[in-house]
Amino acid sequence: MSSEREMDLARAAVEAACKDGAAYADARVNRLRTEDLVVKNGAVGNASADEEYGLGVRVEVDGCAGFAAAPLDDELSPATAGELARRAVAMARQLGAARTTPRPWADEPAHQADWSTPLVQDPFEVPRAERLALLLAADAAMSGAPETVVREGSLSLRREEQWQASSEGARLHQVLTRCGAGISSTAAAHGQVQRRSYPASFGGNYKSAGWEHVVGLDLPAHGARVRDEAVALCSAAPCPSGPHTLVIGGSQLMLQIHESVGHPNELDRVFGAEVDLAGSSFATTDKLGGFRYGSDLVNLVADSTVPGGLDTRGFDDDCVASGRWHVVKDGVFQGYHTDREWAGRIGEARSRGTSRAQGWYHPPIIRMTNLSLMPGTWDFDALIADCEDGAVFVDTVKMWSIDQRRLNFQFTCEIGWEIQGGKLARLLRNPTYQGNTPDFWASCDAICSPAHWELWGVPNCGKGNPMQVAEMSHGAAPARFRNVTLVGAE
Amino acid sequence: MLQREEALEVARRLVDASTADETEVVVHGTRDRFARFAADGPTQSADREGAGVSVRARLRTPDGWREASASCDGLGEAQTLRTLRRACELAALAPPDPEQLPLGGPVEVRAQAADLATVEHAFAEKARWIAAATAACRAEGLVPAGLAQTLGTSRTLVTSAGREVHASRSRASFQLTASGPDFVHGAGFADTRAARASELDADDVVRRAVHKAAAGREARSVAAGEYTVVLEPNAVSALLLFAAYQGFGAQDVAEESSFLCGRVGQRLFPEALSIDDDAHAPENPALPFDGEGSPRRRAPLVERGVLVGPVTDALWAHKLGCANTGHGLPRPNTSGPKAEHLVVHPGAESLAQLVAGVERGLLVTQFHYTNLIDPKELLLTGMTRNGTFLIENGELGPAVKNLRFTESLVRALGNLSGVGRERAVAGALFDGEVLTPALRLENFRFTSTTDF
Repeated sequence: MSSEREMDLARAAVEAACKDGAAYADARVNRLRTEDLVVKNGAVGNASADEEYGLGVRVEVDGCAGFAAAPLDDELSPATAGELARRAVAMARQLGAARTTPRPWADEPAHQADWSTPLVQDPFEVPRAERLALLLAADAAMSGAPETVVREGSLSLRREEQWQASSEGARLHQVLTRCGAGISSTAAAHGQVQRRSYPASFGGNYKSAGWEHVVGLDLPAHGARVRDEAVALCSAAPCPSGPHTLVIGGSQLMLQIHESVGHPNELDRVFGAEVDLAGSSFATTDKLGGFRYGSDLVNLVADSTVPGGLDTRGFDDDCVASGRWHVVKDGVFQGYHTDREWAGRIGEARSRGTSRAQGWYHPPIIRMTNLSLMPGTWDFDALIADCEDGAVFVDTVKMWSIDQRRLNFQFTCEIGWEIQGGKLARLLRNPTYQGNTPDFWASCDAICSPAHWELWGVPNCGKGNPMQVAEMSHGAAPARFRNVTLVGAE
Repeated sequence: MLQREEALEVARRLVDASTADETEVVVHGTRDRFARFAADGPTQSADREGAGVSVRARLRTPDGWREASASCDGLGEAQTLRTLRRACELAALAPPDPEQLPLGGPVEVRAQAADLATVEHAFAEKARWIAAATAACRAEGLVPAGLAQTLGTSRTLVTSAGREVHASRSRASFQLTASGPDFVHGAGFADTRAARASELDADDVVRRAVHKAAAGREARSVAAGEYTVVLEPNAVSALLLFAAYQGFGAQDVAEESSFLCGRVGQRLFPEALSIDDDAHAPENPALPFDGEGSPRRRAPLVERGVLVGPVTDALWAHKLGCANTGHGLPRPNTSGPKAEHLVVHPGAESLAQLVAGVERGLLVTQFHYTNLIDPKELLLTGMTRNGTFLIENGELGPAVKNLRFTESLVRALGNLSGVGRERAVAGALFDGEVLTPALRLENFRFTSTTDF
């Protein structure tokens, strides 16, 4: 099927919507292809190859939005485009009775472009038998401990092709490819059940990249370590309580960035559009440009152009070009994630381009893009050596919770080590820390160098009501935070 | 919405066309009309439909079954046949699994059909609900945010082993969070959920949410510590759903990741507590069959405080040598069976009576972002939200600023001291619903505080 047919359908939907009275319309045809493989305890737990394919039409009529969507079949009937346009306009008219204040959209040039994820090796071209062999080898490497109750390895490929047209003349075609993999081992002993993962939890680490990313993870080489650490955690000491110096590894710090910086800086949350489910934000507009979000070392950069990011793309679902900007610069709050609907509320002429929908089925909303803590200068071993006895190093997300304004958070990590004599010493289970967002970031006094910096993918970010899932990445190197409250959660 | 005969025809056609030794085809359909709203009226809204096919192909070998699945959107012949071929090709690559069983044969399931008036519920009526919420909030200097949604879903499962089941259901819901204009001072939440839109009382939701928010403008701080709590249904569901996600399933127990491990048959909780999984509860009917097409059966989970045992699917019933309770997820999956339709038996006390039994404690409307630290004790953490009030000497007092709890659900339910008589279908931040009354729990642990 050629790109022209899908683009023609999107254009037909836009034209039909405008003919029905829409002041603005855009339409997206999405085809999402995924292949997932899970090996659990040596057997295939899941082997699936799925396709989503549909059309979503968004309109604005008298200041009120409407959105209609339906799946497509191979015929790509123009009647579907016309019907969805009609329904979107009709619902916008009916809902207009409850609309009080239209918001004019920020301007954006009408881009016409093609954009594709750069790849070295197309992961879909790698034979399925080779992919399976990789997971079976990793599974074998995790076997051999009687305490192990679950071994699991997963591998996921995803390609989203998108054709988008708008009534302003935008014509965009994008092909977004990502892949990733991971392993985990769960052990039960001494009344404990403990899991250890590599390279991260949530099924591993994902990137917008080709098969070279999966090869680089070298899952089998980490199988025995993951197995042994899970077993060792079952007899590890429980996490201590009280204020401690904490060094946080990248595969944990990435979710700290996500929850305590990414979400509170989505502008729709700030104005209350997410209060019905996810909540609002402490990062109110009066704080922009002056609020101390963290220490001078803290620089957090949003970037939908960074190589490998799960939200690295050419354009967002408002047809806005990707970009890079500071959310926090030298510790000071500098910028929000915005879309064309909300940007004007803070006097910005252009959207930051962070409007996204999950597939064809959902209307776009503001989603954080790739957001990273910029690296510092420390070598990791030197940083650990610089810590006092009793400091703790923790890594890898196990549990997370944060309040509705994104201030009071509590995270549990998969693993921790007490630091003694400048080295990692005894193991700690269920290391849990709790804090307040600006206090926490203000306590950052050391960040490791670019050599330790890694981009971590979040494949399961939920937002919206009804909830939709989006992907993004967070770059981080291990960093040190002072006087963080450890919670003896047991 | 997709009709029974159309769905059966698509499924049968694919089963007949399959070259696999066993084939399962699921055809699903949805019609979803929702209007989300905030201060300025509707924000994201949609009129959308979905239809698609999932195929599970299985190849018999002397060493077990090779199995894989594939799915697609749409019901067109060409794309569904491509999907069938993908499933068969993928199954041929999968190593044989000696644990897997042959597909189950014909079954009888209860008939259930969606209410078409709910599925076709008009946006104009949703706009009326939203306008009423907006007006009531503005009259009190509050800001609304919420969701009005009507939803129809259908599911049809046909297998080469002769199983054919079909059902559809409808859902209507309206939820409102009323907040102070700064989203700091005062917040109130209320919702309603039913199988038919005609059963919803949107005006009652507006009254309850606005009343709570107005009463909560001047919240005072209380210290972290142990409190007697009266949890309204939405707070109860945010805790109990974690026993559904991880706990009541047979595989959770086998993998040592359940609070049931070593405790089945023990009286873990007071006699006042009984919990079932019941997909047929009239207040919250679910589809009458599970992900494998097996009839969903009511499963007692806690009987008068005693842990009864986990729910099963076909595989785990076979492994454990017990009955299939009909709690399988769509296969293939690595999760095992789950209790997705928890029902807490009602008690005898009104909400006012539950409150009257508290010398000093807290009334909690909702918990936010609850999450699981340790599955063996169901150790959870989360925040209070949208209406937390002090109770003193049996009387409801002023609002309090929000607190974080870190508490074992096993311990908390062990400290149950009262069960409400009125029940509601309640949800949480993540997926799932529970039919539950309010509960009163003693010595519930709050571990940190907020300034709002």
